[in-house]
Amino acid sequence: MVASITIERAGPLTSIQDAGRFGHLADGISASGPMDLAAFHRAGLLAGSGGQAGIEFSMLGLDLRVDDGTLSAGWDGGHFDVFLNDTPLIWPGHADLHPGDRLRISPAKAGNYGYLRFGGEIDVPEIMGSRSTSLRAKLGGLDGRALTAGDRLQIFGSCAEPQLLAPIIREDGPIRFIWGLHAELFPLDLRQKFVTEAFRITSMMDRMGVRLKDEAGVFANSQILSLVSDPVICGDIQILGDGTPIVLGRDHQPTGGYPRIGTIIWADLDRFFQLRPNAQVMFQSVGLDHAQALLRSGTQ
Amino acid sequence: MLQPLGDSALLVRFGSHLDEAANSRAIAFAKAAQAKPIDGVVEIVPSLVSVLIRYDPIISRYQDIAGTVRLLLGRNQSSADGREWRLPIRFGGENGPDLDEVAGLLKMSPAAFISHHNATPLRVLATSFAPGFVYCGFHPEALVLPRRNSVRPLVKAGSVLFAAGQTAIAATDIPTGWHVIGHTAFSNFDPTAVPPTQLKAGDRLIFEAV
Repeated sequence: MVASITIERAGPLTSIQDAGRFGHLADGISASGPMDLAAFHRAGLLAGSGGQAGIEFSMLGLDLRVDDGTLSAGWDGGHFDVFLNDTPLIWPGHADLHPGDRLRISPAKAGNYGYLRFGGEIDVPEIMGSRSTSLRAKLGGLDGRALTAGDRLQIFGSCAEPQLLAPIIREDGPIRFIWGLHAELFPLDLRQKFVTEAFRITSMMDRMGVRLKDEAGVFANSQILSLVSDPVICGDIQILGDGTPIVLGRDHQPTGGYPRIGTIIWADLDRFFQLRPNAQVMFQSVGLDHAQALLRSGTQ
Repeated sequence: MLQPLGDSALLVRFGSHLDEAANSRAIAFAKAAQAKPIDGVVEIVPSLVSVLIRYDPIISRYQDIAGTVRLLLGRNQSSADGREWRLPIRFGGENGPDLDEVAGLLKMSPAAFISHHNATPLRVLATSFAPGFVYCGFHPEALVLPRRNSVRPLVKAGSVLFAAGQTAIAATDIPTGWHVIGHTAFSNFDPTAVPPTQLKAGDRLIFEAV
């Protein structure tokens, strides 16, 4: 199968992603990959994707048209309204697209990121083993950049049978984390407040990080600490010099010198990155054994 | 010195501030760990004073990895030393717009600064910040300057940067608050090559003015 599509409308931060470019931190490159990894995989199953890559789009949605060929498409992540030509379809869902068809995904009703996967592979080169776009390192995807209106993509290769999936149900509970590298540098009463006070997601979010608003002033008087740079990972909760907490995203810098009070557990990262600006977030500390047991049981 | 970093990585730290000893121990340990695959470990990353070990928590538990790491630390005989490289640098002028100011702040002529800067080989301390971007050290006390007060939004790939007792080399276009003292034609990042970066932590760099 070969098909081609043209992006007719794309919000900022719309990019091609696969599961991630792991293994290159020592070259100065973080892994990238979907902000909501589980939704990305589910969109692939819904499309019956025989490829590794898909399109991640942000809150504003995505419009595209099919220029040539017939292809299968699947979508998931957050909650968007989706229309094939003028017919509303369900979210998450699947459709076969034909030449001349327009797929219109309107701004999100919930969540920050949605995923569109196809039956085949997106024809962009594999860079260092991955098709993921690193907006930070400006590599991968389509010329290392975000997708914009007018971009044309070829989809090639075989397709598996699309699967039917029920919408994913995610709990609303607190975001779980493991106390971090520098937790002991924060006084005990501050650490207690960190798990009892609410924070708010701000609109200063992108694939590199999400800034939080500290309305209760938990970190208002925390000393500015000068630390040697150490490797950082996705989900690290850094406290900037002015007391602003920032959670590092999939396109994080490889190292950082800000104190880190904790790291969000892998099982809660997808859910955290889908929290919208102004949403309240509470943090709950869990033990490492508990976090790893959640991963082994596949629980989210 | 061993700490979990989230549920899928751990950090082996050799110091809480940057010095020669902590950096060599980190590099030597990373080399030893890379030489002998550890079950469940998916990535080993040397940094300035620590080594990140990423593992697959579905296969391995923190305690298993930590146990293996402790054994390895006990018998770590590896050397931090790597390859030696000669790097041609065009100092000053449009290649290094901050050279004159840097030399002035250090109370020497630009020529004297270049000669002091190139007098001893530097070691690659770590690759970080951007693809192929290397931090190299350490310069003697007489060559230590803080960063600039303002950040240049973009310096080109190959820029040779100077601050904090170190020389750094940009392999891609980046923003930086470091002083730009020169430019090298050597490229440390080629995304189509395997591996994509040439300089490794522990390598020795000899700078040559051209």
